[in-house]
Amino acid sequence: MSKKNRVAIVGVGYSDVSRGTGYTLDKLTAQASVAAMDDAGIKPVDIDGVVVHSFPHQFVSSTHTAAMLGIPDLAFYSGNVDGAAYSVAAMHAIAAIESGSAETVLTLRTVHKDGAAGGAAMLAGGARAGIPGNMQFSMPYGSFTGSHWAGMYMTRHMAKYGSTEEDFGSFAIAQRKFAVANPTESFFHEELTMEDYLNSRYIAKPLHLLDCDYPVDSSSALIFTTEERARDMKQKPVFFDSWANGTTKEADFSLVEEMTHSSPFMAADRMWSRTDLKPKDVHTAGLYDGFSFIAMQWLEALGFCEEGGSGAFVRSGATSATGSLPTNTDGGACNVGRRHGANFFIEVTRQLRGTAGDRALPNEPKVGVVSNAVGGFAACALLTAD
Amino acid sequence: MTTEVSPPLPLPNELTSPFWDGAAQGQLVIQQCNACGHLQHAPEPICSACLSFDLGSTAVSGKGTVYTFCIPTQAFHPYFADKLPFVLAVVELDDQPGLKMITNIVDIDPDSVRVGDRVEVTFNPLGEGFMLPVFRPIAQ
Repeated sequence: MSKKNRVAIVGVGYSDVSRGTGYTLDKLTAQASVAAMDDAGIKPVDIDGVVVHSFPHQFVSSTHTAAMLGIPDLAFYSGNVDGAAYSVAAMHAIAAIESGSAETVLTLRTVHKDGAAGGAAMLAGGARAGIPGNMQFSMPYGSFTGSHWAGMYMTRHMAKYGSTEEDFGSFAIAQRKFAVANPTESFFHEELTMEDYLNSRYIAKPLHLLDCDYPVDSSSALIFTTEERARDMKQKPVFFDSWANGTTKEADFSLVEEMTHSSPFMAADRMWSRTDLKPKDVHTAGLYDGFSFIAMQWLEALGFCEEGGSGAFVRSGATSATGSLPTNTDGGACNVGRRHGANFFIEVTRQLRGTAGDRALPNEPKVGVVSNAVGGFAACALLTAD
Repeated sequence: MTTEVSPPLPLPNELTSPFWDGAAQGQLVIQQCNACGHLQHAPEPICSACLSFDLGSTAVSGKGTVYTFCIPTQAFHPYFADKLPFVLAVVELDDQPGLKMITNIVDIDPDSVRVGDRVEVTFNPLGEGFMLPVFRPIAQ
């Protein structure tokens, strides 16, 4: 389909990634930025926008990032700590380019391994005087990390739809197969059995350890530009066909109106309303897996299966390499480590432009969907290649 | 080690103190809009239903239904290390459709809790005079 001001992804890159790089957030950010510029075949002077998403307690400044890289002047910049992780940076950059505010924008998500354990870290860091704000209505009850709301989302789905721990395990098993085929990026190299999954310890029953993404130090970078400029660049461009955010009325993840029908449904409905493409047109998916149930909620929200039916969909093999919707073909964040959404934009881009190497899907995908987050806020996008 | 570990204690402020003051007196107190009667939890400086800044609080029935729960088996704060496993839950209160709070379900084997269970408020000492509103099954 034709659109004015179509935005293209022209470069992708990662920093070194490990459980303990010993690198500062700035160094990781700079590494990923250089990798993405190399991939795109451009230099800092070609970039006129920088958007970074980071944790409040691990803040990475967009203007300082530009200065580190020697970018002389920014037409657009935004340093975010709120909302749906990497996708916030992506959405700001798309909006900036579509509006003409900037032409070529570097987008980033940088995390240190312990970044998500913010609540516990705050207390360990000396909040002895008491818990401020609305966290005083969760922490005294023992609710500290994402694992706690995640376990509650899973219980709700199980009670409402009769889903089982084996359903969630099926997703972890299917995704691990892709990880085994991605040895240079995955931290895990052996396939999982259902026994492995069920025997992995509970963090917050019914949530198992193997439902959780793998905390690492990482920075991920993507460069977006206009269709016109993208045509002259090194890589085959991948385009944003449509994209959308969504939120719930209640912002607290534990208190959203309906856990089985949270922000991914709002984002997905809005995204589909902005395109002529349909779920049946999508060849591959990169669905956020901070916890495995999140990717499964996205399968339902995006209309790839009926609401409540993600377990059966995954067990049918639909998300495998030879299925109708190969999903998380890099192995997902449970295996390649926490990139907070950026890895899905990167992997789907690699699949659509034909640079996925040995992992290139047999269906030669031209349309892919990516997503990020769940609960109070989420975003998704449809990517296409010519 | 027998060192006493401090619980995660609240730092009450103008908005949150009615909840904690009420709990200390054995009542579940929720913020209520003086203009339209809307109940909201957690408390905010504005009523999300009518945008009034005229907000008070009220003691509610203390009865509700288990919306969902999980059973933490790893302590992310040292205070909970000797309290595992316990039931972390969201309870929907009877007093207004969709009015929910994070809480614990107590006085029951964690594996026996079910979504939809009817529960009522009770109060557990948290420390330094704070009482924590938690819920227990309503005897059938």
